[in-house]
Amino acid sequence: MNIRDNAALCNKLAAEYVLGTLKGGARRRFEQLLREDAGLRRTVEQWQDRLMPMAEFTAAAKPRPHVWKAIERRLNLARSHAGWRFWRSESLAFWRTLSAASLALALLLVGVNYSPLLDRQRIDYFATLTDDKARTALLLTGDSQRQVLTVRLVDQAPVADDKTLQLWAVPRQGVPRSLGILPDQGVIELALPQAALGDDVAMLAVSLEPRGGSPSPDGPTGPILYKGNWVRNM
Amino acid sequence: MQQPLAIDPEQLRDWLRRVAQQDAKAFRALYDAASPKLFGFALRILGKRELAEEALQDGFVAIWNGAGSYQAHLSAPMTWMMTIVRNKSLDTLRRHGGAAGIDDQPFDAEIMDALHDPRATPIDALLISRDAQALAFCMATLEGLHRQVIGLAFFHDLSHSEVALQMSIPIGTVKTWIRRSLERLKTCLARGDRA
Repeated sequence: MNIRDNAALCNKLAAEYVLGTLKGGARRRFEQLLREDAGLRRTVEQWQDRLMPMAEFTAAAKPRPHVWKAIERRLNLARSHAGWRFWRSESLAFWRTLSAASLALALLLVGVNYSPLLDRQRIDYFATLTDDKARTALLLTGDSQRQVLTVRLVDQAPVADDKTLQLWAVPRQGVPRSLGILPDQGVIELALPQAALGDDVAMLAVSLEPRGGSPSPDGPTGPILYKGNWVRNM
Repeated sequence: MQQPLAIDPEQLRDWLRRVAQQDAKAFRALYDAASPKLFGFALRILGKRELAEEALQDGFVAIWNGAGSYQAHLSAPMTWMMTIVRNKSLDTLRRHGGAAGIDDQPFDAEIMDALHDPRATPIDALLISRDAQALAFCMATLEGLHRQVIGLAFFHDLSHSEVALQMSIPIGTVKTWIRRSLERLKTCLARGDRA
């Protein structure tokens, strides 16, 4: 049945779709058409504008406070530090530029510092973490086969005695995953867990935490000091 | 004391724009302003507080995740959010076996009075948005039973035959009433009628 050439029928079906009386197979077929037909979607939206205000014909009621708490928890809004949302708002262009730049820099640094090691290791992940003034503070290389993450502290601000630097894998969705505590200087080898290798991990970051690491299971509690793209070298 | 009338749609749009940027503060403000109406709606559909709270929670998670796809020029912000909360409420209803008690009187008593006799209870005085006032004016021009059929279908997600059963009238009559009422509302809203 082709309803698209029949404007009156389209209008009637759209109205009953929004009202809710279009049911079963007819509703499913209509939804299929909706996906393909922008004009029909527009007709549905117009009916929503007409009929949805009926929702206001009911008395307002206040939900109990635990509802907001549950929403906060599900979206991880409360406990994460505000600064931890930075990566979501950044544009694609920024990501691309940063990726290219950090890969180039990482290769350069690896070339200078690690060329003897490269023969033995298969380094397939890189990140250069920079501070808010774009100065490189850490260089990270990952060997996914040996599952080793090498962290070299290049140049970073001193850390107070009661504080610790903690390294995180930041996925596009969900909470950051801890990769471990960093030393104050020098080079350290950490285990490179599966949590850091997923395709959804776009970025690594370092936060300043109380000595011993973040007390929260949901991610960092302190400010981010350094961040950078986690680049896979195919 | 009167609470402020409807929430300013421009303010809602602004909050939604910021929520799309993951602004948790704007999200909280949006929740504080809009949740009583959205919750009242969910409560009407679901009948039980616990279920309505579950639907509201799902709704706001969807609002947070979907704010980026909200198209301000295409639909009013309250309409967009009401649509989301309605869908979540109906999902919740299905999950819990769809056994919400059906209330023959789908509208709030105060609204009912205004719809029944706008001279005695002025629609302008209701604490609802301008869009809802316009719809109320137009619904007041429908016959009482027709209005009830529309309300039952809308709030309880009933089919033609379920409405027929609920109101003990033939299904053909239900279909005709709904078709005519919808056309009448469309014409009335397009004219911007004030009954």
